[in-house]
Amino acid sequence: MAAHSDDPLQHPEVQQASVFGYTAGFLATLALLGAALLLTEGHLMPPEQLLGGISGLALIALLAQCFLSFGLDITSHNIWKSVSLILTVPLFILTIGLTVWMFQQLDALTMIPGASVMPGMTMQPTLLQ
Amino acid sequence: MAVKIVADGKLPPLWHYGHEEHDVIASKTFGFWLYMLSDALIFAGIFAAYGVLDHTMNAAGGPTEAQIVHPIAAFWQTIAVLSSVFAYSLATVALKHGNRLGLMLGIVAAILLGGVFMALELKDFADLYAQGATAQTSGFLSAFFLIIATHGLHMIFGLIWLLVMLAQILRLGLTAPVVAQLLNLRLFWQFQAAIWVCVYVFVYLKGAI
Amino acid sequence: MLTPFPGPWSVLFGRLTWAAIPYNNPIIIFAFVFTAVAGLLIVAPVLYFKKIPYLYREWLTTVDHKKIGVMYIILGLVMMFRGFVDGMMIRTQQVMADGPHSAGYLEAAHGYLPPDHFDQIYSSHGTLMIIFAATPILTGLGNIIVPLQIGARDMAYPMMNAISFWLTAMGAMLVMASLFIGDFSSAGWVGLIPLTEVSFSPSTGVDYWMWAIQISSVGTTLNAINVIATIVNMRAPGMRWDRLPIFTWTTLSTSVIGLTSFPILGVALALLGADRYLGTHFFTAGMGGNLMLYTNLFWIWGHPEVYFLVLPAFGIISEVIPTFAEKPLFGYVTMVAATFAIAGISWTVWLHHFFTMGAGPLVNSFFSVATMVVGIPTGVKVFNWLFTLYRGRLTFATPMLWAVGALFLLLIGGLTGMMLAIPAVNYTVHNSVFVIAHFHCMVLLIVYAAFAAVTFWFPKVFGFRLDERTGKWFFATFSIGTALLFTAMFGLGFMGETRRLDYLYNTQWFPALVIEEIGVGFYTLSCLFFFAMLFVSIRDRAKNIVGADAWGTARTLEWMTHSPVPFYNFAVTPQVNSRDELSWRYANKAAGIAPDHFVPIHMPNNTPVPIIIGALAFGFGFGLTWRIWWLAGLSLLGIIAVVIYRSFTRDKGYELTGAMMAKLEQEAPRGIIAESQYLSKAGAH
Repeated sequence: MAAHSDDPLQHPEVQQASVFGYTAGFLATLALLGAALLLTEGHLMPPEQLLGGISGLALIALLAQCFLSFGLDITSHNIWKSVSLILTVPLFILTIGLTVWMFQQLDALTMIPGASVMPGMTMQPTLLQ
Repeated sequence: MAVKIVADGKLPPLWHYGHEEHDVIASKTFGFWLYMLSDALIFAGIFAAYGVLDHTMNAAGGPTEAQIVHPIAAFWQTIAVLSSVFAYSLATVALKHGNRLGLMLGIVAAILLGGVFMALELKDFADLYAQGATAQTSGFLSAFFLIIATHGLHMIFGLIWLLVMLAQILRLGLTAPVVAQLLNLRLFWQFQAAIWVCVYVFVYLKGAI
Repeated sequence: MLTPFPGPWSVLFGRLTWAAIPYNNPIIIFAFVFTAVAGLLIVAPVLYFKKIPYLYREWLTTVDHKKIGVMYIILGLVMMFRGFVDGMMIRTQQVMADGPHSAGYLEAAHGYLPPDHFDQIYSSHGTLMIIFAATPILTGLGNIIVPLQIGARDMAYPMMNAISFWLTAMGAMLVMASLFIGDFSSAGWVGLIPLTEVSFSPSTGVDYWMWAIQISSVGTTLNAINVIATIVNMRAPGMRWDRLPIFTWTTLSTSVIGLTSFPILGVALALLGADRYLGTHFFTAGMGGNLMLYTNLFWIWGHPEVYFLVLPAFGIISEVIPTFAEKPLFGYVTMVAATFAIAGISWTVWLHHFFTMGAGPLVNSFFSVATMVVGIPTGVKVFNWLFTLYRGRLTFATPMLWAVGALFLLLIGGLTGMMLAIPAVNYTVHNSVFVIAHFHCMVLLIVYAAFAAVTFWFPKVFGFRLDERTGKWFFATFSIGTALLFTAMFGLGFMGETRRLDYLYNTQWFPALVIEEIGVGFYTLSCLFFFAMLFVSIRDRAKNIVGADAWGTARTLEWMTHSPVPFYNFAVTPQVNSRDELSWRYANKAAGIAPDHFVPIHMPNNTPVPIIIGALAFGFGFGLTWRIWWLAGLSLLGIIAVVIYRSFTRDKGYELTGAMMAKLEQEAPRGIIAESQYLSKAGAH
């Protein structure tokens, strides 16, 4: 590890705090989520596209937070955080994406169409004697 | 790859006699970041569960998504949590300049705004319970409450941590371990805002489509 | 209560009553007597020689990675023994209960174990072996060796290291408690759903299982953080990424898997816990639950988990073979690449554990192809090991025997795994003992690698070699047992024997079952040889004392420390100049060059915080299992309070000056035992 002066306040991770960055991150996230809210409440897109639209806005908000709030970059004190995050992102996609896909296929193959309104789906399981 | 032989008499140094430097702060924040990644994967699992359980059949005849999510009301929660994170981030700017008072005021503001967030969320829960929509009503509602409650639990944990940091600053001053904890808390608190983005969009907004 | 369960409940004791103690079950009584006698045999000498203060000072409050590693390995070996006894009981029941005319003893209609007891035994067998035997042994090995291999003085977070150990140990204690108070889960080590729901498993067994795994998972996740931070941040000067020993690379990759996959297990079990305690409907059969969601979440963890276990084994093999072939590892770069390829791809294959659950041909194909792809980097590794052996100067010391034996098991296990990767084949053998034989080949290769590592690094840690003769007998009997048992089991799988059966209807299976039981007999013999090996080695230790390079042909940095390793590891941090640093020093005639002066070093202090957190974690788990809410609540608050209290500490460890270092180095190398008395001699305390 590179030597730093003994004052902890001079550490690069303390010094990387920036009013501009945090304000920009705050406002950007607020604005993007507000836009997503408007899109949804105002039904400004057809439903199938709407989900894609708000997902896209969420993604941009998260990216904005990465750069502006978390301050992730490739400087020596942040690079490992950035690398580990980038390597972890595919795992989110795999966990959620493959699960949802798998269950869509499963439902299509095993669930009777219209099963959601069947009366039998409201029973409590009882204790086996 | 054969072992490299150096020319005679030109052995490079074999031992490192330098003073052992140990960057306490970088060491602690990297470890905490790794913990945050594992925490993020907890949420990945929970979102995967929600993705499976948010179908009509999982509502078991009870309330469905569209009936219980209120995106506009939840937007107030969004403002509260983002402001709380912003307040704490500004507190760390004060830390950068050695401004202890600013730091502590920022922490107090973050606590108050975080408290507002939790109050709004608990009120929402109470309303839902009054309507008979509880976590025990159906698989869908179990998943719904799970996401919100897990995020809420993290928020409560963070509020306790903010209080503890106030005490640490007063008692220990701005030593390297205390500063490291403040940086960790910043990562944790900012992470709550990031997760809330996902919760807001994929639970509240998606439910209202 | 939010979920209805049978039996009484009181505020003070929750569901715990005298009826929870199985005093009319002769098998449990025997187990209790055995455990009590074994416990007494260990505790009595400790008390007699007045070693409690020593134990507390040097082991229970230690933050030294080597001692923590040793404790992990001891825990793992003890739990492996109990898991082996469970396995022996399963085998014996099946060979006794074959056919409608097979006799029944001890209240069983056939064999000697009634169905529910049999179910608990295979559930605890799996849980103990995977979570509480293999994982602790491999974690312990990583704990001891990785800091030494990178030239560091300790792990990045020494106190958290100790906390990880105690959490794991407390999880194991919960499983042990289930033997004598209450019962254990009957739903398999995976927790078959919806059997694990409270309506179908109303006793506390599933709760024991659930909390034991949850608590130890926290320990494993914290350990993963520790290992990654250590390898990234604490390498000695000159220890570049392309010079990192291969065992350290595999441990890094393992920890990445652990960090990312264990949270999903936490989610799966937490959701099950919510169903059992709060009456939610995540996995219930009805009310909008989805049974397959549990299976899905469990195996999202479950598959990376098996790579979490096998990658350190591969790393161990990659250290042992070059040492005893006196050649550098063939294909270092491809080995590292293959390791991370395996780790990455392992995240995309989990559905192959439930091909038959109806996701359909499209989904099955994706996961099938991904499963086959993960075999490619594994194959790369096998060939690299073979090319390392080729034209090497081979010495078949005990570690080498274990490592090469592991290669054979990998071959069979891997090939049968590729068979199982084909959905068409999988549909015919799913849930048969063919699958059991396949994965036992894989976990046995892990066990072989673990024994290779233990015999390989034992001299480094304790300063004397293990006896070779008894060690070879141990290996031979263990291997014969393995060969007999699992060859027969593959055959039985093709003949249609389903898994988890307490009674077998087909008497044509009897010969194969007998062969399996003979295999178990050999395993039992091997246990005796293991204890004999320990006994003989300790008795004759003066004759087998070793220097720094215990085997004479070592290659990596850890073999540059004294044997046994002093508590400070290296007196002066080494400057690394090459991959296989020790081989480089040998080749350049620099191996004997010691540091010419000493510099101050900084060491952490011992602390009772980890064991206190462990004890509170046990209280938390036990309290939740028996629904003793005050105990669970107070334990949780206690943990939070201790953590907060500790965060205010001003403890910065202690410093050893250059003069003290010189004195410590001058006297005979200090070991893993009793550091404090030498510290005070050197003037540190």
